[in-house]
Amino acid sequence: MNGFKVPSDLAQIPVVWRYELLKYLRSWRLIAAVVISFVVLALIFFLPPAFGMPYSGTDDFRVKASEMYSLGEPTPFLNFSSVTVIGRTGSVISELVVTVNGTTYSADNWTLVKMSEASQMFPIVGSLNLDGSHLVFFKDNMTGKVVNLSYHYRITAETFEGLVLNFASILIALCATFFAADSIAGEYYNRTGYLIFPNPMKRETLFAGKFSASMTAGILVIGLFYVGMAGLSYVAAGGVDDDLWKSFLFGLEYLLAASAIGYLVSVLLKGTTGAIVLTFLLLFLILPIVDGVSMYAKVKIPESLTFSGNVMIYILQDPYPVDAAVEYYGSSFSMFYPEPVASAIVMFAYAAIAIAISLVMFKRKQLAG
Amino acid sequence: MIEIQNLTKTFGPIKAVDNLSLKVSKGETVGFLGPNGAGKTTTIKIMTNLISATSGRAFLNGVDVLTRPKAALSSVGAVVETPEFYPYLTPLETLAYVGSIRGMHSKDIKVRSNDVLQQVKLEQWRSTRIGKFSKGMKQRLAIAQALLHEPEILILDEPTSGLDPRGMVEVREILRSLQQQHYTIFMSSHLLNEVQEICDSAALIDHGRLLVYDSIDKLKTLVKVVKLEVTVVGTASDELLNQIRQLPQVRAVERVGENVFLVTFEGVVDDRANLLQGVQSFGAKVSGFSPVGLPLELMYMDLVKESR
Repeated sequence: MNGFKVPSDLAQIPVVWRYELLKYLRSWRLIAAVVISFVVLALIFFLPPAFGMPYSGTDDFRVKASEMYSLGEPTPFLNFSSVTVIGRTGSVISELVVTVNGTTYSADNWTLVKMSEASQMFPIVGSLNLDGSHLVFFKDNMTGKVVNLSYHYRITAETFEGLVLNFASILIALCATFFAADSIAGEYYNRTGYLIFPNPMKRETLFAGKFSASMTAGILVIGLFYVGMAGLSYVAAGGVDDDLWKSFLFGLEYLLAASAIGYLVSVLLKGTTGAIVLTFLLLFLILPIVDGVSMYAKVKIPESLTFSGNVMIYILQDPYPVDAAVEYYGSSFSMFYPEPVASAIVMFAYAAIAIAISLVMFKRKQLAG
Repeated sequence: MIEIQNLTKTFGPIKAVDNLSLKVSKGETVGFLGPNGAGKTTTIKIMTNLISATSGRAFLNGVDVLTRPKAALSSVGAVVETPEFYPYLTPLETLAYVGSIRGMHSKDIKVRSNDVLQQVKLEQWRSTRIGKFSKGMKQRLAIAQALLHEPEILILDEPTSGLDPRGMVEVREILRSLQQQHYTIFMSSHLLNEVQEICDSAALIDHGRLLVYDSIDKLKTLVKVVKLEVTVVGTASDELLNQIRQLPQVRAVERVGENVFLVTFEGVVDDRANLLQGVQSFGAKVSGFSPVGLPLELMYMDLVKESR
């Protein structure tokens, strides 16, 4: 007869983790999630240039007369007479050459200013809706003259990563659906519980092992996505945004909360298909609809998980965006942005509450029938 | 070793297990019998921490499985219903998984895995993913995982379910060899001959209540009703059968063939001799007179009929 000592709860968790992770490593779900994330990265990287919107290049164009604004006589406070806007947003402009009536205009007589800096210098500029643009100020009045601008542009890391990160929240919801939604329900529906439950192991231990494996699979996918994004950002923008690590941490927190919701659904439902579909609908449809309606109804709902999850996109933006009213096709609605600290608290609360309820229910859930 | 005290389980208005108490001593093999819906699997599920009890207690090695399941199940190997396995694992990996949970070292797992897979004749499939296995192969693997850590107690729910006749014989041989090694075995079964062959004792339940629990030998003596197959020389006339029906202790007479009929009879061995004399007294030349059916089966049918 045996003389084996049953390991402690803590020591059993890595055992469950290892074999649960093996499930994902040998399943199409992990491969599919990784493939999807790489396909998305490739599409975002290659499609805009293919459609004539390269991330870097040279612009050479004549400023339209209507886009040259007179500033009046120079004053000690504003030493320029005219200004025009370079409409290429989210890019770094360099090597600007100005020609006036076919002659190169001396660099001493103009200055290139980012919109964000200009709005600080000249408050009146801030009232114009020219976010992310550049302004060229001229000492001479250029209205009525033929002004040509030639410059090199390159997308900023913030813009490129912001573009890519729009998909990150979808990928995280996908990970929660793939790796969490049927994790517990499967033990009942597939009858594998008959094998694993009669072992000397607490349900909490099994839950912890499974949850950590789901998180590991999710982190693997999200980590690869961020690494891929950073690599492409180096190629497209010449670097990564300083706040990218914050975005990654928020992404992991969102993954934690979304997975916890997946586990809660998994504990509540008996069937695996139902659990997967409900988790998918919650994270892809129901909560995002609530977020969308809240903007139209002009009611901010910071308690929404998907709304809070978007902090991983906005955290890259400098300065951090603030809520604003927007007119669109004659309708007015509100653009709400999640507060970073509040979002962190909301996501943590979702994770903690969902895990606590799931644990209690899993302990009580019976393998009857 | 195993002690169930006043165990009750209700599902809404249905009492699946009703104040059940029984005790299995160390080294004993006990068959757990009952018709479908009698509460056998529910009792086993409570004992293996798959479901909770409404009231009562269930001790495994002196530890209450309802309050301390981890400690209670440490020395238990169980097969409940026909479990499903993780299809992405091989038998060796499955055994390594449950062995690690049970605290076995990797070296012991390796040695024991080879032993038990050989025992259940799955050694050639040891590295094949279980997703491709038949129900019978899964049942064998279920038995293998239950034996892996050489538990003191084996709880088996229909251990030969899903196996072909050859597989059934092999599993019975395994159980008999475990019995000789003094494992404590508690097994439910529908197959009365299986229980009669393997077990020292049997507990019979119906409607969640214990009807009888005793050694197989003693249970055989409880058999009150027997079926006797009588063969006569020539044709057994209807008149003869009617005359036999009038004999004391005869419950029924049923024609099987031209010269063969079955007599359902309530009585002990001496009474049977009187019955034979009675049949012969009607002028029948009896060429065959023997009981049919297993004693345990007869006892089972009798007690279950009474309880309903």
